[in-house]
Amino acid sequence: MQTIELTVNGEPLKASVDPRTTLADFLREQADARSIHLGCEHGVCGGCTIVVNGKIARSCIALAVAMDGADIRTLEGLSDDPSIVQLRDSFHTCHGLQCGYCTPGMLITARDIINRYGEADEAFLREALAGNICRCTGYAGIVKAVQHAAAELTKTRSNLK
Amino acid sequence: MKPGALNYVRPNSVQEAIASLEEGGMDAKIIAGGQSLVPMLNLRMVSAERLIDIGGIPGFREFSADDREVRLGACITHERIQIGEVTDPSNGLMPKVASAIAYQAVRNRGTIGGSMALADPSADWLTTTAALGATVEWEGPDGKNSCLSEEFVVAAYTTQLGMSDLLTGIRIPRLHPDAKWGTYKLCRKVGEFAHAMAIAIRSPSATRAFLGATEGAPVRLKHTEDVLSTLKEWHAAHASVLSQSMDSDIAESGREFDDVHIWQLRTCLLRSAQMSFGVKPVEPEGL
Ligand SMILES: Cc1cc2nc3c(=O)[nH]c(=O)nc-3n(C[C@H](O)[C@H](O)[C@H](O)COP(=O)(O)OP(=O)(O)OC[C@H]3O[C@@H](n4cnc5c(N)ncnc54)[C@H](O)[C@@H]3O)c2cc1C
Ligand code: FES
Ligand code: FES
Repeated sequence: MQTIELTVNGEPLKASVDPRTTLADFLREQADARSIHLGCEHGVCGGCTIVVNGKIARSCIALAVAMDGADIRTLEGLSDDPSIVQLRDSFHTCHGLQCGYCTPGMLITARDIINRYGEADEAFLREALAGNICRCTGYAGIVKAVQHAAAELTKTRSNLK
Repeated sequence: MKPGALNYVRPNSVQEAIASLEEGGMDAKIIAGGQSLVPMLNLRMVSAERLIDIGGIPGFREFSADDREVRLGACITHERIQIGEVTDPSNGLMPKVASAIAYQAVRNRGTIGGSMALADPSADWLTTTAALGATVEWEGPDGKNSCLSEEFVVAAYTTQLGMSDLLTGIRIPRLHPDAKWGTYKLCRKVGEFAHAMAIAIRSPSATRAFLGATEGAPVRLKHTEDVLSTLKEWHAAHASVLSQSMDSDIAESGREFDDVHIWQLRTCLLRSAQMSFGVKPVEPEGL
């Protein structure tokens, strides 16, 4: 076992980890981050996407032991984030989910896309979302939801000015 | 789908990492971004009693640039190249290639050094650094060493690196400011490894053409380079001339590819060549 100290959703956490433990399992079991959904466990499906030091990452292909000093955000810790608040609403309005298994990873990825690129056309969004697999929706609602959220956030920002 | 038991160490210097590799022997493995290694550990395709994390070695995440070349430390991520955070020696080719590797969440962690060291034949950087005439640097028990990227890969997943060698950085010469490039990666799903790829660079100082995702080292197309260097603009009739030169290059390389793979490689080459002349390749209907 090795000891690591990190920040999870704003809270400092000191834990002893078996070096073989993935970041996903560690966060689910020791930080109660059940929004992390495991699908493939080899980096392809996107269900386990979280934010590490401000950048999105696959928690299934990172080791917890390597996260000493890291600042981690899971969907639980982003509930007040303005982009997530808007995305949650847009996913609801535009039918961006059915079973919900892919949804936490979709929301975190969509937040990253909006923060990086702002509003984008459908073709671009479909490519940018290609790393997140959804077995239910057929993506139409998801793409619409992300476009809707990006447009609403632009409006809010220009109203603030 | 979980890794087997392992130990994890984080050396603070190249020397420490090499000593740890030597001590661990067959059971020791370097980990950089972990974006290829951890999936393999999860699937138990690979086991490692000792993982040596090189992410904290001073200089490994840094780059330097002068007017001749840019040197990237081994642990520079695909994303930092994608967003232009590191100086681009390639008139935009490297950011373009980086943006099509895997997905954003993977690009944020995967490193150029890890990609080169693993030498998956479909890895985008193998072909790109070869086409750019880059030099790979490494260090091991016998000291420092380096070679041209196009000589670095011996076969699929096999490079010039020895058991206890550590890839330290990659030096990329600056492309001529007037150089034009084209690249095409063929894959069924965005973010996948390439089924075929090509890069063509037309520069006043040299013309370079490479095929990638060839099940082994990237293939240099010398005859094709000669043909390309004589062309002044793109014309549909050039396609058959370039195809013929590609066929003779492949014949001379001694490598064998099946019909479908040749067809895919040719498509990539022609689209890259066209792109280098500023012609947008025609996408099939419905894409
Ligand atoms: C879903 C998915 C899709 C992907 N798609 C693509 C793609 O389209 N194109 C592409 O090119 N790649 C793709 N990759 C691979 C990705 O680019 C990896 O980041 C990269 O291949 C490995 O880099 P890494 O830093 O993660 O290396 P690691 O996984 O840490 O290491 C890979 C191997 O290299 C060795 N190694 C690492 N660094 C060094 C070093 N400095 N010296 C000596 N040995 C070293 C390790 O021991 C290990 O054997 C994909 C990966 C995933 C998960
Ligand atoms: S579970 Fe991590 S990407 Fe699929
Ligand atoms: S909503 Fe069920 S997998 Fe996406």
